[in-house]
Amino acid sequence: MDMVGQSPPTLKSGHGNKRSPEIKQIIMESSSITHFFIHKTLRLGLTLALVSMLAFTLVSLSPIDPVTAYIGMDRMQISPEQESKIIARWGLDKAPLERFFIWCKNVAQGDLGVSMIFNEPVTEVISKRFLTSLNLMALAWFVSGILGFILGVLAGMRHNSLLDRGIRLYAYIMASTPSFWMGMVLLSIFSVSLGWTPICGAYPPGTIDTDATLWQRFHHLLLPAATLSLVGVAQIALHTREKMIDAMNSDYALFAASQGESRTGIAIHHALRNVALPAITLQFASLGELFGGSILAEQVFSYPGLGKATVEAGIRGDVPLLLGITLFSAVFVFCGNAIADLLYSTFDPRIKQNCEEQHLC
Amino acid sequence: MSRKLLQNLCILLFSIFFVCSGGFAVAKTPPPDTLMLAIKGEPSEGYDPILGWGRYGNPLFQSTLLKRDEQVQIVPALATTYKLSDDGLCWTVSIRKDAKFSDGIPLTAEDVAFTFNTAKNSGGKVDLNHMDYAETTGKYTVKIHLVERDTTFIHRFTTLGIVPRHAYGEGYGRNPIGSGPYKLVEWTEGQQMIAEVNPYYYGKAPFFKRIVFLFTNEDTSFAAAKAGKVHMVVVPQSLANQHIPNMVMRAVKSVDNRGLMFPTVPDTGKKTAEGYPIGNTVTADPAIRKAVNIALNRKALVEGVLEGYGRPAYGVCDGLPWDNPANVIQDNDIKGAIKLLEEGGWHDTDNDGIREKDGLKAEFTIVYPATRSIRQYLALACADMLKKIGIKANIEGKNSFNDIKKIKHRDVIVFGWGSHDPIELYHLYSSKYAGVGYNNPGFYKNPVVDANLEKALTASSFEESLRYWKAAQWDGKTGLNARGDAPWAWLVNLDHTYFVHKNLNIGTSQVEPHGHGWPITANIEKWTWQ
Repeated sequence: MDMVGQSPPTLKSGHGNKRSPEIKQIIMESSSITHFFIHKTLRLGLTLALVSMLAFTLVSLSPIDPVTAYIGMDRMQISPEQESKIIARWGLDKAPLERFFIWCKNVAQGDLGVSMIFNEPVTEVISKRFLTSLNLMALAWFVSGILGFILGVLAGMRHNSLLDRGIRLYAYIMASTPSFWMGMVLLSIFSVSLGWTPICGAYPPGTIDTDATLWQRFHHLLLPAATLSLVGVAQIALHTREKMIDAMNSDYALFAASQGESRTGIAIHHALRNVALPAITLQFASLGELFGGSILAEQVFSYPGLGKATVEAGIRGDVPLLLGITLFSAVFVFCGNAIADLLYSTFDPRIKQNCEEQHLC
Repeated sequence: MSRKLLQNLCILLFSIFFVCSGGFAVAKTPPPDTLMLAIKGEPSEGYDPILGWGRYGNPLFQSTLLKRDEQVQIVPALATTYKLSDDGLCWTVSIRKDAKFSDGIPLTAEDVAFTFNTAKNSGGKVDLNHMDYAETTGKYTVKIHLVERDTTFIHRFTTLGIVPRHAYGEGYGRNPIGSGPYKLVEWTEGQQMIAEVNPYYYGKAPFFKRIVFLFTNEDTSFAAAKAGKVHMVVVPQSLANQHIPNMVMRAVKSVDNRGLMFPTVPDTGKKTAEGYPIGNTVTADPAIRKAVNIALNRKALVEGVLEGYGRPAYGVCDGLPWDNPANVIQDNDIKGAIKLLEEGGWHDTDNDGIREKDGLKAEFTIVYPATRSIRQYLALACADMLKKIGIKANIEGKNSFNDIKKIKHRDVIVFGWGSHDPIELYHLYSSKYAGVGYNNPGFYKNPVVDANLEKALTASSFEESLRYWKAAQWDGKTGLNARGDAPWAWLVNLDHTYFVHKNLNIGTSQVEPHGHGWPITANIEKWTWQ
């Protein structure tokens, strides 16, 4: 983020070399991309190892006993013998460390195990639900990103104007609003009182999955996505606004203004590119938050995505599923950050230059 | 998979373009033969009876050998005759010849034997540990051998749905095939399940051809009902006084009870193998436990805590066939309670409002799980009522059952049980189970009660066992109820509250076991539209 800044975006010219610049670029690009991917893969491996260790430790320390949660109110009909059968079915009769190593061995072979509460392979549980969540998260992510960026730019362009104050007020309110509360407010206004939007689910109740039309799905997606977007806008708008103010007060903006460029012209031609970079970083880094936010929104709207399954797994101590989802979200967030890294060079050639010089990619 | 992915991409693009457009289609009102129910009960493991599906309410997709009617009496379903051998160790069951699975394949004794033998070792919520094995003795007769005499085993016949031997395997729970009134059309986990009439069902065809079960959370279901989208919704008692257009409140009696469990042995510093303390010298005195039982005003608890949606509880099985009517006592009797305490040697000598005996204050702690508001209110109300007779009850909420587990032999706990299986009595009161898991946490022991419980379990038939279950509760001299040793003070039975569409006729509902929601489906085949 700190690479973006106050100086005008000039390209440093390449260093002196014997080969023609094109050939050099091709060689550099292919080797640096391989380098980039090897580097990233190693990091991902390390991250996943650490995340799974940490997650397993935390889950082991959790006071939730999955067997008690499973039996629940049926306790008085289940004899101690039956309880030990349940424990054996889930492999909980083994020591935690032993279980972890068995799990690691299986994961290395691509087997994430069987979810205790769903009695179904973890990969299947995740893939089924993630496709539903993906619609929600993607829509919310795009809308909050674009809307937030636009609002931030507008506010920053007209620093301290009425528009700026309005946007700022909105952003501050949203930044301090829990998404589940927002969801409940929207639900009671638009679904219950006005009846414009459906109350729950991913498509109309009673409709078969394959019969649900695109419009119906979108209609059902609207409110949860709006909840996530309205709240998600705040952060990106505030950050972009800050950067925009800096850009508008920079020397190059002053220079452009002295040449007769209008305020809008400066914003579009000079400031926008500089401001885009931190916005992209932030937006990709917020994938983790989006994941968390969708869990809450899905709860409110009974949207059958990964969020609901995560909550269930947590409440009932489903270790294999919880670890599976943790690993999955780690990969998800990691990919988001990696994409942001890749996009930097497209938006700001200086970074690529820098990378190539230091072989850091 | 790729089609699905493509579809998702389409939605995504579509969504981005149209995100700000207005004008929404209003969902169509369903035709009258599609019933929309929001009554919870989604089995996360799937509709697999082997793992426990169908323990409550209607198994819907499968049918059972026997079932319980509206009066909780046992009546035949798949079985035509059923007989327990004289030694009480072998059931011979003949099944009807016209039953077919929803795939058209006939149901035979092979399937019954397969179901029982598979469930025995499945490690689910079906406890068949008292069964040895099941075998067929003809195409339509099956013999089920027990390891030991157990009259409650008949309860398995009413809850274990028969699965097809030819179609049972991994993934059965998500693609159930059975001989029940309905068959599964589609189950979107976490959202809804659609069921359609099973054309091969042996019984009378249900009125509703198609039922949609919404698996939404409480708030969302309630909102859906208010918007007129569902025909039935289960609500907590606290919402039962609300008004929903076109819907009427239906309060169904249950044995979903709440009560105070007392440790019945004194604190001698003994600990369990896990290191949990055992005993409470105050509650170990029967005078204290009996005084609490008669001092409490159960009607006031029902009115105050349950908004009137409940009834006083005097035992764990109020109104079920094995309930002893003698459990009912005259409560809210402050004078009687004080007299009991005085006679028991509990006097307030230092005038602080709390009685003492041999320097020991009449004081104990009532513990409840902090997340359960009804139990919390009950604990608070009880403590308030006990003040009047000079007993000091401290209130403590615990965050998890894991914390409660550690102190359940030492403190008074607000527990809730209630089921259609009398084995519950055995597990709660038999000294054989004292301190085993959550069974008999108070270490209650009465040899006469033990003997009666044992007789009930090993009686020659279920009908015969009823009188021993009743005798264990009160035989005229002793027992486990409030007249006897009073190891518990049962407080209330919740009413299960449902908003039902005014045109939907759901007939007579059974006294429901715990589990507020799905149990209402027990007689779903008989539901009609007026």
